Amino acid sequence: MFEVRSLKNKVILQIILLLMTIPYAIPLVQMFLGSLGGTGFSNYKAVWDTGVVPTYFRNSLIITAGVIILVYIFSMTAGFGFAKLHIFGKEVFFWMILIALTLPEVIMLSPLFVTFQKMHMFNTFWAVILPSAALQLPFSILLARNFATGIPDELMEAARIDGANVRSMFWYIILPLTKPIASSIIVLTFINAWNSYLLPLLFLQSPSMQTVTLLPQYFQGEFTNDQTKILAAAVITAIPEIIVYLSMQKNFEKGMSAGALK
Amino acid sequence: MKKNKAKKSSKMNGLPWILPAFIFVVGIIYYSIFYTFDLSTLNWNGLDPIQTKVGISNYTKVFSDWVFWKAITNTIVYFIVTFLVQNFLGFIFAAILHTKVKLATLHKCLIFIPTILAPATMAPVFRLLFSPQGLLQDIFNVFHLGITVDWLSKSNSALIILMMIAVWQFTGMSFILYYAAMSQIDKEMLEASHLDGAGNIRTLFNMVLPNCKGTIISLAMLGIIGALKTFDIPYLVTTGGPNHATEFLGTYIYRQGIRQSHLGYAAAISVVLLVLAICGALLINRMNKGEES
Repeated sequence: MFEVRSLKNKVILQIILLLMTIPYAIPLVQMFLGSLGGTGFSNYKAVWDTGVVPTYFRNSLIITAGVIILVYIFSMTAGFGFAKLHIFGKEVFFWMILIALTLPEVIMLSPLFVTFQKMHMFNTFWAVILPSAALQLPFSILLARNFATGIPDELMEAARIDGANVRSMFWYIILPLTKPIASSIIVLTFINAWNSYLLPLLFLQSPSMQTVTLLPQYFQGEFTNDQTKILAAAVITAIPEIIVYLSMQKNFEKGMSAGALK
Repeated sequence: MKKNKAKKSSKMNGLPWILPAFIFVVGIIYYSIFYTFDLSTLNWNGLDPIQTKVGISNYTKVFSDWVFWKAITNTIVYFIVTFLVQNFLGFIFAAILHTKVKLATLHKCLIFIPTILAPATMAPVFRLLFSPQGLLQDIFNVFHLGITVDWLSKSNSALIILMMIAVWQFTGMSFILYYAAMSQIDKEMLEASHLDGAGNIRTLFNMVLPNCKGTIISLAMLGIIGALKTFDIPYLVTTGGPNHATEFLGTYIYRQGIRQSHLGYAAAISVVLLVLAICGALLINRMNKGEES
């Protein structure tokens, strides 16, 4: 878009870019170098040999999948309802959901702590899945509704004349046409659920139920502050995420930017 | 004609379609909010069968608590600084990567990867990086600079380091948004500006920046919410210290409610945070409306 014509300016620009990017690489370099400190690659072996890493990954996968399923189903159906169907007092319902758009999760800390204790829900995945999904939904519903509003009414009309009922309209028109926003919603939910720290910290106290974000703490106890092994665990946790990002780069970038557009 | 059609399709009742989501969201979130109000009037540790009703005294305590005000100032400073730096860097990155530079994808990935990594995973890395055993110290030692990297343990520098970490983490976000906004700018307009003899840098700030206004507002909203939500990095890197120098509302609520079992007091701070979050949302909504008209 911007043209830089002279060779001198091109070189200068390239150097500026390099100098600006280096600080972004430094923590990643530190993570990798740090993980090789002391005993080198056997740090990784020590971490792996504890046998807990797959458990933590499995738990994160279950929780993330649970949150994604709930958010996907609820945001698609509600997005369709709010965009295309007649509902008495629609604005009130919508507004009541939207109020929760900017709610920091830490606000729910005290009430959920008491409630989950009473209901014996500590150390269950539901204690993390349910509040995570509820916090993710207002924004996802907003995105889904805005997107579904853009689907022409004529299309729905034509289907109705052909004898389609609401359910088949949802199934054959809305679901296929809202795929782009659905993929953004899934990516955003994935990142938030996978990276979530506070809720697992509060409610998952047994190591067999904990998620990858709690792995550093587990190893802090296990290796009594042997930083190298803790960093090896960090690398093991980060690599799958980086691979998922690199293989779905476009979806991630689109999903994250949907996170800011209204 | 159009109205007529809209009317026809609106005959289909939508309530069953929104009700499950509505009950789910409102059930969990409103329950929590109202329960927080209730808890905030108690002096209770969350476990004891005895709860003492204390009325609004938790609130008066909050407003005379210097740590609470420290957390508020930290949140404001954190928002202003990270917002400015992150937007400046993201904007410049986006502009440079819109020219034909070499290795653009590699640079893009390096800027973006921090936004997808879990702060909890990166926290031990930052603790090491900003310690005398870390990479920065090694680099300083090579050049014999005589600097000791102990900034996280000093109360006047710890917050600066946390803000640097936040900038590292979120520049990718502002970069991606500015990059997308710049792709939508009319190329002829830029051509015209060039023909008028405006240099690249002048075009960038006089023509491109005003066109990114919507993006700036979106990022301001994300920034305010992000600042109010801040928990993971201060909790894990400095645990809010030293001496509350990096305390945020999130870390303070956790400290009071869970660590010290002052659940009622934590709930009162939560209510204040809730009010701030809603004010933030309304403020941005207004800015957004002003933008549209």
